[in-house]
Amino acid sequence: MKQAPQAAKRAGTRINPRALAAQVVDEVVVRARYLDAALTETLAALPRAQARDAALVQEMSYGTLRWFDQLAAIAALFLDKPLKTKDQDVYALLLVGLYQLRYMRVARHAAVKETVEATAALKKPWAKNLLNACLRASLREEARAQAAITASPEAAFSHPAWLLEEIKHHWPGNWAAILVANNERPPLALRVNRLHQSRDQYLARLAQAGIAASVHACSETAVVLDTPVAVSELPGFAEGDVSVQDAAAQLAATLLDAQPGERVLDACAAPGGKTGHLLEHSALAELVALDREPARVKLIEENLTRLGLSAKTVIGDAANPAPWWDGRPFDRILADAPCSATGVIRRHPDIKIRRRPEDLPRLVATQERILDGLWPLLKPGGKLLYATCSILPVENENQMAAFRRRHPDAAEDVLPMSAGRARAMGRQILPGEAGMDGFYYARLRKN
Amino acid sequence: MTIRRILHYPDPRLRRQANPVPEVTDDIRRLVDDMAETMYDAPGIGLAAIQVNEPWRLIVIDISQTRDRLQVFINPEILSREGEQELEEGCLSVPGIYEPVARAHSIRARALNRDGQAFEIEAEHLLASCIQHEIDHLDGKVFVDYLSRLKQSRIRKKLEKQQQLAM
Repeated sequence: MKQAPQAAKRAGTRINPRALAAQVVDEVVVRARYLDAALTETLAALPRAQARDAALVQEMSYGTLRWFDQLAAIAALFLDKPLKTKDQDVYALLLVGLYQLRYMRVARHAAVKETVEATAALKKPWAKNLLNACLRASLREEARAQAAITASPEAAFSHPAWLLEEIKHHWPGNWAAILVANNERPPLALRVNRLHQSRDQYLARLAQAGIAASVHACSETAVVLDTPVAVSELPGFAEGDVSVQDAAAQLAATLLDAQPGERVLDACAAPGGKTGHLLEHSALAELVALDREPARVKLIEENLTRLGLSAKTVIGDAANPAPWWDGRPFDRILADAPCSATGVIRRHPDIKIRRRPEDLPRLVATQERILDGLWPLLKPGGKLLYATCSILPVENENQMAAFRRRHPDAAEDVLPMSAGRARAMGRQILPGEAGMDGFYYARLRKN
Repeated sequence: MTIRRILHYPDPRLRRQANPVPEVTDDIRRLVDDMAETMYDAPGIGLAAIQVNEPWRLIVIDISQTRDRLQVFINPEILSREGEQELEEGCLSVPGIYEPVARAHSIRARALNRDGQAFEIEAEHLLASCIQHEIDHLDGKVFVDYLSRLKQSRIRKKLEKQQQLAM
């Protein structure tokens, strides 16, 4: 049967979701933009009638970036020569096509045809034949593509060579498991706001809403959904009954162990996930939430408003407290420092593409300056919790060891935590371990 | 995957009664894949095997706008029909002709999938019309059969003329 032209025409005004996914991928690869930002912007342009396509665009954007290195290896087999710089959107579309054929449960012919047609939406109709030829060749010569993938660890694990080597070097017994976990779809984990209800009560609300979930053993507040849902479907989300946060990140509040009546600093606080948790966790005398960027401080405030909590938000640089610090010391400091984010690749596959080896020395230097800047703000006997979502020792235990060499008044405080594995200092959770994101924690006590 | 030639009305081969598929073999699955590709290429939202000159009780359908919800019906049967609707239909075997056809608004049907497993489906609106339209093909029927004699003969003449021009 063929659909009548009027009906087909009504359907025909829609924007090709493959073209949109290609645009998102192109923004990340060529312009080094954040995937979530590029995707949000693209989906905002989606007509209302096409809201259903949002999930498809998201799946194709995340998936293509997750498997970027592998798909690029397949593309290289079937492209005679690389595409020009100005045609990287066509290249992105080719990878989006290959992703569907390899990883999505879509009819192959439809995937090829729709992807080829997306060249029109990109205003590159000349690329039609090229895409058609490459995608069909990849189907015809699947065995050859598979052989090329198997022959190259970069393609098989879909990680850039430098990062793969880095992980292999530092985790000789775990590197393959880490790389595999990095390519998995992350679970949706929630933090139950226990000021509003107990974790069991919230689980019951989820069950009532038909959302299957279970508690996470490593944290007192974490709940993990069997299948991710849109945040808007979570009971009581808008009312602040619950927040989205990985179980590994939920350890921060427990490990900081701030006591009621204490004065606490959350340095590098944006977007405020851990800030909210600190306030839910204990009745503090004051919580100062600091971040450098005004736009991101606004995010902290929005987050706290949703939770019905408040903190003293401050715009300032943790590495340089003079302009913003009032001179009153803190009992506890949480330093959730900017890092390579190599522990959360499964949530942000664009990290594999945007991160460059030359970023590491810069990040390590920033962490060092932040730690040195914050240390004088801590009361004697006070505690500083250092956290990263990195799995690279240079940002974690090595950073801590160097800090202790510079600051003889800093002692390691052993963490009351069984998750992850002990390092020379602090503890490391590897990606996927107990279903969690990769995280590092270490606690320092000031003598 | 191959794009098959679609028979055009009033080709007498469209009048044949299709045979039940005795077993879902790799050959049948290859035919399913070819038919899907032919349908997507045309483009259409449904195709019966008889339209590509394969006299088996086998249809492929995809009414999604994303063109990624292929449905395969092997040995389909309609179990029940309810209500009435009139949708404008076209057919890959009757190019360029669109006419309203009255059919059941919702149906229950049973068939085997591409893996040879039985399933039942409740369909309404466009999907219901489409399944009924395709099953008609398996019984040698074309949607123009529901139109008035005058319209039928006009359509026949028009298509015969087009086919002569094409030769």
